[in-house]
Amino acid sequence: MATPMIELDRVAKHYGNHAAVAEVSFTIDKGEFIALMGPSGCGKTTTLRMIAGLDQPTSGEIRLWGRRLNEDAPWERDAPLVWQSYALFPFLSVRKNVEFGLKQRRLPAPERRKKAEEWMERLGIAGFAERGVDQLSGGQRQRVALARALALEPEMLLLDEPLSALDPHLRVRMQSELVRLHRELGITFICVTHSHSEAFAMADRVVIMNEGRIQQIGAPREIHRRAANRFVAEFVGGNNIFTGTARVEDDGSIALAGPVGTVHAPSPLEGGIVTGAAATLVVPADRIELAAAGTGCGNEVAARVVTVEFVGSTVTVFLETEGGGELHAQRSLHEMENTPLAVGQPVVARWSPQQGFFLPA
Amino acid sequence: MSMAALRRLLLVAYTVLVFAFIFAPIVSTIVFSFNADRFPSLPWGGFSLQWYEAIFADATIQRGLINSLIVAGVTCVIATFLGFSAAYIDYRYRFLGKSVYLALAALPPTVPVVILGVALLTFEGRVGLSGTLQGIIVGHVVLSTPFAMALVRMRLADLDPDIERAAWNLGASPWATMFGVIVPFCTPAILAAIFLTAAVSFDEFMIAWFVSGVNETLPVRVLAMLQGQVSPRINAIGAIVFGVSITLVVLAQLLLGRMSGRAARKKG
Amino acid sequence: MSEPLPAPATGPTPLKATSRRATGARFAVFWGAPPVLWQAAFFLVPLGFLVAMTFWSVKSFRLTPDATLANWTFILNAGFFRNAYVYTFWLSALTALIASVAAFPAAYTLAYKVSPATRRFMIFMLVVPFFTSYPVRIYSTQIFFSPQGIINTVLVPLGLGPLQVLNTPTGTVVGYLVLTLPLVVLLQTFALANVPRILIEAAHNLGCGRLRTIGTVIIPSARIGLIVAGTFAFVLAFGDYVAPTYLGGSRPPTLSILIADQVKSGNNWPRASVVAVMMIMTLMVVMLVMIGLAYGRRKERA
Repeated sequence: MATPMIELDRVAKHYGNHAAVAEVSFTIDKGEFIALMGPSGCGKTTTLRMIAGLDQPTSGEIRLWGRRLNEDAPWERDAPLVWQSYALFPFLSVRKNVEFGLKQRRLPAPERRKKAEEWMERLGIAGFAERGVDQLSGGQRQRVALARALALEPEMLLLDEPLSALDPHLRVRMQSELVRLHRELGITFICVTHSHSEAFAMADRVVIMNEGRIQQIGAPREIHRRAANRFVAEFVGGNNIFTGTARVEDDGSIALAGPVGTVHAPSPLEGGIVTGAAATLVVPADRIELAAAGTGCGNEVAARVVTVEFVGSTVTVFLETEGGGELHAQRSLHEMENTPLAVGQPVVARWSPQQGFFLPA
Repeated sequence: MSMAALRRLLLVAYTVLVFAFIFAPIVSTIVFSFNADRFPSLPWGGFSLQWYEAIFADATIQRGLINSLIVAGVTCVIATFLGFSAAYIDYRYRFLGKSVYLALAALPPTVPVVILGVALLTFEGRVGLSGTLQGIIVGHVVLSTPFAMALVRMRLADLDPDIERAAWNLGASPWATMFGVIVPFCTPAILAAIFLTAAVSFDEFMIAWFVSGVNETLPVRVLAMLQGQVSPRINAIGAIVFGVSITLVVLAQLLLGRMSGRAARKKG
Repeated sequence: MSEPLPAPATGPTPLKATSRRATGARFAVFWGAPPVLWQAAFFLVPLGFLVAMTFWSVKSFRLTPDATLANWTFILNAGFFRNAYVYTFWLSALTALIASVAAFPAAYTLAYKVSPATRRFMIFMLVVPFFTSYPVRIYSTQIFFSPQGIINTVLVPLGLGPLQVLNTPTGTVVGYLVLTLPLVVLLQTFALANVPRILIEAAHNLGCGRLRTIGTVIIPSARIGLIVAGTFAFVLAFGDYVAPTYLGGSRPPTLSILIADQVKSGNNWPRASVVAVMMIMTLMVVMLVMIGLAYGRRKERA
């Protein structure tokens, strides 16, 4: 088995009695784009800073190509970080900022200049190489921060909330640019973000953290389709979560009597759900169709429209059943154009039993 | 409306009066240093540079000026280094006893100079420093380091702590970060501190009076001259000291102004 | 005093990081040690030495280490010391009061009645006197009040003089004001400018007149700054040597004159040290009382 590039082995970070990172273990392969995601205070930034050497693990080991990294000083590591605040040197020009790391490596001036030029060109900031960084816009500063880190030609790049300080339209552009850079450079990107849309759009694998612990690791699709627990199902959003009493049917599938009535879903592969037990079913909102009348197959719930929310090209319809159960469905704007929905209108929410899955007990 | 205007006028007039009291001695020093009459009084006795000629011909005053320049020159370098160091330590570290550390660095100006003078005299007598310029420098550094520390600390307050870590992250050791990031960032404050501590030292007379022995600095010479009779030469010295000190303070002020101007622009 | 051991703000270093920790410690010591060593060697030790010397004796004109209370009993029982102590304390307190009252309208004007640019310029102007030889300023003041000086040449023809200020306690106080007034105006201006404008506007809005607003809103809000300003005036005046010597004529002597005389001519350093230690203790008590006054009542009210 090949050695993974980076290994975090039972890494923890305590501040006094408070555990910023309780215990975290995972590995990262060369060339992966990993997103560390979770709500603020979940330990994702501390984890990133420990990889950079800016914070010291209280226990556990961080390894790079199998070699213990804990004792390496930040300046001895090859893990440049793109800071949330950019942390550009305010008294240096753009060029000097980009050259800073190369200068620390004692690269001769002509080479330094050439490399800086190359990276400024690549990130589209060559035009204001001689400007002070306080004369730049947020988007330009971001590019300087990226050029400064990438000019070192590292084998991994760390990014701390790289898009959070940008305007929404810039954010989307930068997002695709990061993906393109990652593909072209082939190096490992480790990106901290609190936004699941960012994480899912960019990363090969997502590490979801909460309260200093890993909740789930997986490809975006996998996490979206198979949340490991209630926290993940709620945090990634777009899921209906029904808790109720299970009954094992003759065909082995499970019927759940819950807030929206009785609905069906396949038994989880690992089993474990017995008749009479409490169980939690997750149904992704974008798998729920809305119809005027029932057809008699699949899960069907009669409900009324409570609100309709338009976000971008997605429409979220919030529904309420007769018994007061709530659920929501996500459709594309395109689908909804021909069937306008009014508040209070009765509809039938329908989904195939195969689309739902039970959370592990 | 006119009541308000009157009230404002009265307040401004009173303020002018207060400033007149504060500045009358300074202005008269400069004005009468050019007066031909021996006794500084009205009416004005005509323009003359004779008192300046007199002090430049006076070997003790020359010696005093040179001593003052040496003391101020050395003091400002040491005090700025120590003040910078203390400010950086305050900025960068948390440790047990830090408040004691900072108090020790910042307290000397709250002790009357007459007491600092006696204390240094008795102490320096024991270690063989009294009566030397080094002895004066030692005391002036004690007195002026807190000013340098305050200036640098104010500047460091504007430095995002992430900046230093960003430098480490890009491969700069703490030493490289110090000279590649911290010092360049603090340069205006460091220069301001050099000028300010030089001005403090150049003007200080009490510690110098106790410690100097035969190596009088210029202010000590002035003090000695005050004990004699009225002499317009004191005005001439005062005017020169004023010129030197104010130049230093204005330079410091300009640097600080540029600094805060830039900070304001950055925030705005 | 134990040497403080700096540790990085980022947290404790791990056990095995010896080389890294050594680098960090060397760095911290390089920057941290010089200021503390310098101030310990040339500030703390001399002051400690001063205290120790109060217990020494002078035997046949030679300073001898000793453990005698003779200097203390001599000074504390000496009439000249008691008189000088009361006189210095009283004159310094009077100066602090006069300076605080005289400065207030000017500080009020600078804080509220002029444009920010003017205020900045005036604040700069107030810094200027600190860098203008204080003895020379006292010399100028001496000339002003001399019998043939400017003030008397104006006043005498008007039948108002001659004004006898030199070599009187009044002269000393005038000199103290030359020393302290710029600082008091400066500190009061900062204190008043920091009073939230909205509080003053609220008071006006509630029908509080101008003078009452000053008394009930501005002064209580700026109290800490005002007390600090007055305290500084007291501290500066209490330790000053030049004004009482050249404007007050050394008669009666203040404590600083006693010290200077004992050291410069009397050569009785242990006795001078007792006076100096008494001064330091007095200033510490005054500062503690004033800090209590500035912050204490506020807590009670909150």
